Amino acid sequence: MSENILKLFRSELKVINIGLELFKDALEDQSVSVAQVSWQKPLKLEKEYEDILSKIL
Amino acid sequence: MLVRNVVKKNFHRDSVQLLKLSEESKKIRGIKDAAVVMGTVTNKEILTQLGLLTGEGKAATDNDMILTVMADSASEIEEGLKQVEVMILKPPEAKGRSYYGVDAALQALPDANLAIVSIPGEYARDMVLKLLDRGISVHLFSDHVPPEHELELKQYAKSKGLLVMGPGAGTSLIGGKAIAFANVIKRGKIGIVAAAGTGLQEVSVLLSEAGLGVSAGLGTGGGDVKAKIGGLMMLQSIDALERDPETSAIAVLSKPPDPNVSGILLEHITRQTKKQYVTCFLGPESYNIPQAAVGRVRRTKTLHAAFSEAVRCADPDHHAQIMRRFTLPQNDLRVLADEVSKGLKEKQRYVRGLYTGGTLAYETLIILGRLIGDVYSNAPLDSKLKLFNSYQSVKDSVIDLGEEEFTAGRAHPMIDPTIRKMRLIEEAKDPEAALILMDIMLGYGSHPDPAGAMLSAIAEAKDIAETNGRTLPILAHVCGTEQDPQPLSEQEKKLREAGVQVFRSNAMMAIASAMISKRNTLTSDALSDVYDHFLGGF
Repeated sequence: MSENILKLFRSELKVINIGLELFKDALEDQSVSVAQVSWQKPLKLEKEYEDILSKIL
Repeated sequence: MLVRNVVKKNFHRDSVQLLKLSEESKKIRGIKDAAVVMGTVTNKEILTQLGLLTGEGKAATDNDMILTVMADSASEIEEGLKQVEVMILKPPEAKGRSYYGVDAALQALPDANLAIVSIPGEYARDMVLKLLDRGISVHLFSDHVPPEHELELKQYAKSKGLLVMGPGAGTSLIGGKAIAFANVIKRGKIGIVAAAGTGLQEVSVLLSEAGLGVSAGLGTGGGDVKAKIGGLMMLQSIDALERDPETSAIAVLSKPPDPNVSGILLEHITRQTKKQYVTCFLGPESYNIPQAAVGRVRRTKTLHAAFSEAVRCADPDHHAQIMRRFTLPQNDLRVLADEVSKGLKEKQRYVRGLYTGGTLAYETLIILGRLIGDVYSNAPLDSKLKLFNSYQSVKDSVIDLGEEEFTAGRAHPMIDPTIRKMRLIEEAKDPEAALILMDIMLGYGSHPDPAGAMLSAIAEAKDIAETNGRTLPILAHVCGTEQDPQPLSEQEKKLREAGVQVFRSNAMMAIASAMISKRNTLTSDALSDVYDHFLGGF
């Protein structure tokens, strides 16, 4: 069951970074390929609008 | 001096972006001081201490952003605030390309094999499941992931033969690369599995500086060794390192696991593995290992001891020679204690530890507990010794400044030195404080110049003590390597030039602090006991 992890140890590291860009910068400094995902907190709707939307959808 | 606050309701930026905004705000012409923070209790407490909170800011909630500026005149305040408002409205600056979702990122990097997730914990589950579905192991930095989510994620990862390191995983080392808060470590034969982030940093740094190095360092997050999770990722990591041809010995580090979990781990290591192991369940108490494992598995109780035993596994012939560089002889410590303590006033009796690394603070509590007795803390070994107010030291105190009450809504003190600088000044005003000890964490993720960032506060603290007819010894351990972005020797030099005593390991600093505060009166038996039990295997 450890095959995937052993493969990770042996392969060139390629990283998806979701959140703090600090970590992306650190990996790029170490010549690691990184794809940055700019995560945003989902918008919170007023309860009233949420109720209306849940009826429509 | 005038201060004004503006509150932006339901306005959010991450802690590192806020730190940058605060720093930029301070540079505005005419502005004497400024901050851009979320309205958490912690931030409001800090703004109060800095004289930067007004009635308007006090009313802010965790979801609101507070802009605060201090200047000589109303016109400067107004102009300053205008500029801060423009800054915060700019979308966070992305250096290079960024994607709006995981799918798009995966199209760009289809053979990605690791993800780092640092979004708020309540949103982590869905994101991590998606990544695991794509066959990607995850370093989950986020805190506040509900335990039932952690269990679900780890069970799923196990079923797919992947890793979920975290939640709350600060450090990993994979393929010779530093993930999150980690150092530049030489490649070597020792694998590390750790449910203790700065513990992994300390042991990997010491091994690297000893010339031995690390094959992989897998952080599981502290929750992994709790009863609910049952060590799922510890076991998964051990199994992987056991099969890894690059790893010859494995160190397993953790604060005391749940008793059932430590049983599971030790039983697994005894029955299912063949390599050499070093266990480090940090704590004052001894623990047993199954008879069948004695000899192959070495037990330790501190990070320094785990390092020493790992050296014994990797290079038994040179163990004594290597350890001489890291373990000060007792006589040398006595000479140092005499020298440093001679300027102390009678009232100066107490040790004050100001830590950014939680596991290092914990190691210090273990050693001081043995040498000087009760030590108070916001994260104590014994709940009876919990500080009533984390912002106020009592007698001997060791503070973990990375705990929630200091970090809610702000960057960790390894990145933002503000909170430790303020605390150092406060400690210097206390006539009962005998000395300060602190960790300086280097590596990726940390402040670009953590020693340099403390220098003004160190000078001010020493001045305060001197003005009051005292001296205030300051001890530091720099946890880092020469290859780190902030080279170890440069950081140590800055501290030494500021009159700070620098130690090669945190444990040695802790022992020295006890000897100094006790004016070198600790008996040889007491000292030998600590050397025997806490600087090597038991």
